[in-house]
Amino acid sequence: MSQLIHRHLSCGIEFAAEVLPGRPTAALEIRVLAGAAHDPADRLGLARLVEETLDKGTTRRSGRELLDAFDAIGAQRSSATGRDTTAFGCVCLPEFLPQAIELHAEMLRTPTFPEEACRVAIDLAVQELSALEDDPQALTDKLMDRQAYGPFLGRHPLGEKETLQQIRRADIVRHWQTTFSAGRLLVSVAGPVDPERVADCLEKCFAGFGSPQSNGREAQPLVFSAVRTHHPKELEQEHIGICYPGVPVTHADYPVERVLIGVLAGGMSGRLFTEVREKQGLVYWVGAWHEHPRNAGMIHLGASSTPENADKTYRTLLREVDRLSDDLLESEVDRAIVGITARTETRGDITRAHCSELAADLFHYGHPVPIAKKLAAVQAVTVPAVKRYLAEHPRDRLSVVTLGPRALAADAGGE
Amino acid sequence: MRDLRKNGRTEQRTTEPRTPMPLPFVEEQLPNGLKIVIEIMPHVKSAACGFLVRTGARDETPALAGVSHFLEHMCFKGTPRRTWRDISVEFDEMGSHYNAFTSKSRTFYHGWVRAGDIERQTGLLADMMQSALPPDEFDMEKGVILEEIAMSNDQLEQLAYHLLHEKVFAGGPMAWPVLGYEETVRALTREQMREYFLRRYVPDNMIFIAAGNLDASQTVAAVKRLCDGWTPRGVTGNGVRTPPAFHRGTAVRQVERFNQQAILLAFPAASARDEQQEESAALAAILGGENSRFYWNIVQTGIAPRASVWHEDYEDCGLMILYGIGDPENAEKLAEAMQREAIEITTKGVTEQEVQRVRNKRRTQLAAEAEAPYYRLLQIMDDVDYRGHPRTIEERLERVNRVTADSIAACLKRFPITDDGYFVSVGPRDWPPV
Repeated sequence: MSQLIHRHLSCGIEFAAEVLPGRPTAALEIRVLAGAAHDPADRLGLARLVEETLDKGTTRRSGRELLDAFDAIGAQRSSATGRDTTAFGCVCLPEFLPQAIELHAEMLRTPTFPEEACRVAIDLAVQELSALEDDPQALTDKLMDRQAYGPFLGRHPLGEKETLQQIRRADIVRHWQTTFSAGRLLVSVAGPVDPERVADCLEKCFAGFGSPQSNGREAQPLVFSAVRTHHPKELEQEHIGICYPGVPVTHADYPVERVLIGVLAGGMSGRLFTEVREKQGLVYWVGAWHEHPRNAGMIHLGASSTPENADKTYRTLLREVDRLSDDLLESEVDRAIVGITARTETRGDITRAHCSELAADLFHYGHPVPIAKKLAAVQAVTVPAVKRYLAEHPRDRLSVVTLGPRALAADAGGE
Repeated sequence: MRDLRKNGRTEQRTTEPRTPMPLPFVEEQLPNGLKIVIEIMPHVKSAACGFLVRTGARDETPALAGVSHFLEHMCFKGTPRRTWRDISVEFDEMGSHYNAFTSKSRTFYHGWVRAGDIERQTGLLADMMQSALPPDEFDMEKGVILEEIAMSNDQLEQLAYHLLHEKVFAGGPMAWPVLGYEETVRALTREQMREYFLRRYVPDNMIFIAAGNLDASQTVAAVKRLCDGWTPRGVTGNGVRTPPAFHRGTAVRQVERFNQQAILLAFPAASARDEQQEESAALAAILGGENSRFYWNIVQTGIAPRASVWHEDYEDCGLMILYGIGDPENAEKLAEAMQREAIEITTKGVTEQEVQRVRNKRRTQLAAEAEAPYYRLLQIMDDVDYRGHPRTIEERLERVNRVTADSIAACLKRFPITDDGYFVSVGPRDWPPV
C-alpha cells in the first residue's frame, strides 16, 4: 500500500510524497509556478530561456560539471516550460534522491547565466521557431493555442522571433529573480522514500530561497475566440484543429469530461477512430483530448488528411460530438470508464507516473488526491451524466484552425 | 521450460538496481515452431504480451514495398471469428495500451493490461494472427495507409531518414521505406497480400513474448491451446535474409518548402549480434546523446538546435548515424562540426569518465525498465529476435560494465566513422554539389 504525504515546508515549498515501498526507482518533480503566461509581453520566450540556461553553470560548477554531477548519479532528467509552470523532472535510483534534490537546488538557486550561454540559448530559440514551421502538427498546435487561449495562456513557450531578439542576459537574470522562489515551488516525490528525510533535505536545500510566501497561484486569463482561420502552407495534408471550452480539473464535472473524451478517443473503438478512420478511411491520425491550465479547461479535436478528404473529416468530427446527445450507449460509457481505470492502474507500475500525478494534484487541487478517489468519481459517471454535460457545455462556440494547401469549404459548418 | 538465468551473480554495487528483480525466464517451443518466452515480474500489478512476426520491409520484393506494414493494419480488420469492431471493442474492454509496429525486419503486435486480463488479451492477439484480411476492408485501409504516407512526406526528418536508407542500402529491400511508396501501395492487391501473409505469418516465424505479474504455466497452456493448431511452413526469417551491402556517397534532395536543412552521415556499425554492439551504443551516447560532445560542441555553440548520434542495429548489420538539423545557411558549419567531432573522438578516444557516465545512466534506465512490463516486453523482443535469447537486467548491466575506453577505441578501429560514409542533405538548399 502506498502512503500519501502533503506538507507546507517552512522554506515555502509545497511538498507531497507518495511512499511506494520496494520500487527500484525514485522520481522527483519540481514545478515552478512560472510559465509562458508570466512572460513580459515584450519579452515572450523568457520563461523557457530561463529553463534552458539554468543548467549552464552555477556559482560552484560550470555547466559541464553540473551535468556531469547529474550523470554521476545516473539521473534521467527532463524539463519543460508550459503555460503556467516550468517543470524539472528526475528519475534515479532511490539512494541518490538526496543528491538529486541537492543538485536541483544548486541549479535553481545559484545559476550564473553565462553571457555566452544566454546568447546561444536566444539564438537556438530563434532556430527552433524556424524548425517548428517544418513540423505541421506542432505548428497547428501553436496556431490553435494562440487563437483559442488568448494573449496569455495562448503563448508558445518559444516566444516570437521579434520578442526573442529583444532579450538580453539581464532580462533572463531578472526574470529568474522575479519568478524563482521557494514560495513558488511545488515539489513531489514518489518511490521507496522516507518522506521525513526528503522534507528535511528540501528544507535544508531551499531555506532562504526568495520569499517563502505562497505565490504564483493566481489563474491566468483564458480569452477564448470562436473563429475559424486557415493558414496556407505547402503540404500534402491539411491539418485540422478544433477546440471549445470544457471544465477545469477541479470542477465537479471533470470526471464526466474524462469519460466523454474516452468515448470519443479512448481507443480504437472510440467514436472518432471508428467513424473517421475505420468506416471512411479519411485519415491516419485523429484524436480528441483536453487541456487544463489552472481553473480552465479546453476540449480539443484534431486530424490530418489529404485536402480532398478534409471537409468530410471536419464534418464527421463535429457530427460525432453532436450525435452523442442522441445515441450515446451505456456500453461506450462503460468502456471509457474501464479504459481510464485500467490504464491508470497499469501505468501505476511506473514510479514516475505516480510522481507526475502528484505534481498535477498539487497544481490543480493544492493537495494530493488519492488515485482511488479520482477513479471512483470516474466510475460513478453514467450515460445521463454525460448527456447532461453535453447539454450544459455545448460545442456551440468553436475555435478552428486549418493548416495546409486549402481552406475548408465555406459550408463545412461548425460555427 | 528451462531456466535461462545464469547461476553466477554479478558483482553487487550500491549503485546497481537491487530490488526487486524479475524471476527467471520461461522459454518453450511448440512442435509447430512457435517460440514462447515469458518473464515473471512478481513485484508489479500489470502484464504485457505480444506476437512478434519476423517479417518486415526487408522481406518484401520491390513490387510489394509496404505490404508488411499494410498487412499489420489489416490484422486489426477482422478474423474468421471477429470483425474489426469486435477486435477494437475487446481491447478497449480491457483498457489495454495496445498497438503494433512494423520495421525493416519485424512486425510486433502488443498490449499492456492489468495482470488479470493477460489471458484474454493473449487470445485476442492470437486470433489476430489468423487474420481473414477482410476483402471489404482492404480498399478502405489502403486509404488510411496513403494518408500515413502523405503525413510522412510532410516531415523533413522522415524524408531525410528515408533518403539515407534508400542510398545506403541501394539495390536491396532495406532501401525502401517501411510504409512503401504511394505507387506500390496503390497497386497492391489483396491476393498479393494474402500470399505474403500465408508465407510469413507461420508459427515457425513467430515468437510469443510476455512479461509481468502472470502465471507462466497458465500462460504457456493458453498459448498452446490457442496456437498448437497453427501450421508450420519451414520459414526461417534469418535463413532467407542476405546482409545488405553498404554504399558510400553523397545525396542531396532539395525541398524548398522546408525551412531547415537536415544533414545525416552514416557509417557501417556493429550489428545487434555483434560482440561490440554495446560499444557502438556507448559511442553513440558519448558522441551524440545527452550531455555529449555534440550537445556541448554543436548545439551549445549555437551551430544547430538539434544534433545527435544513434546506433541503428539489425541482426546482420548496423549503422552509426550522425544527425543534425539547422538553418540552411549553417549547413556547411554543421556538417564540418559533425565531422570534426567524429575525427576528434577517433584520434583522441573517449575518456573513462565519459564511459562511466554511460554506465551510470544505463543503471537507472535498467532499474526503470524493471518496474514496467511494457518496457521489458520490448527489450525481450529485441533480445530474442536478434540475439536468439532473452537477457536479464543483470546480464545487460554486466555487459555495459565491461565497456571501456579501450574497447570503444577497438570498436572505432573496426567500424570507423571518419572515412567515406554516406552523406545526405535534405532541405531548401541544393547543397553540397554532387
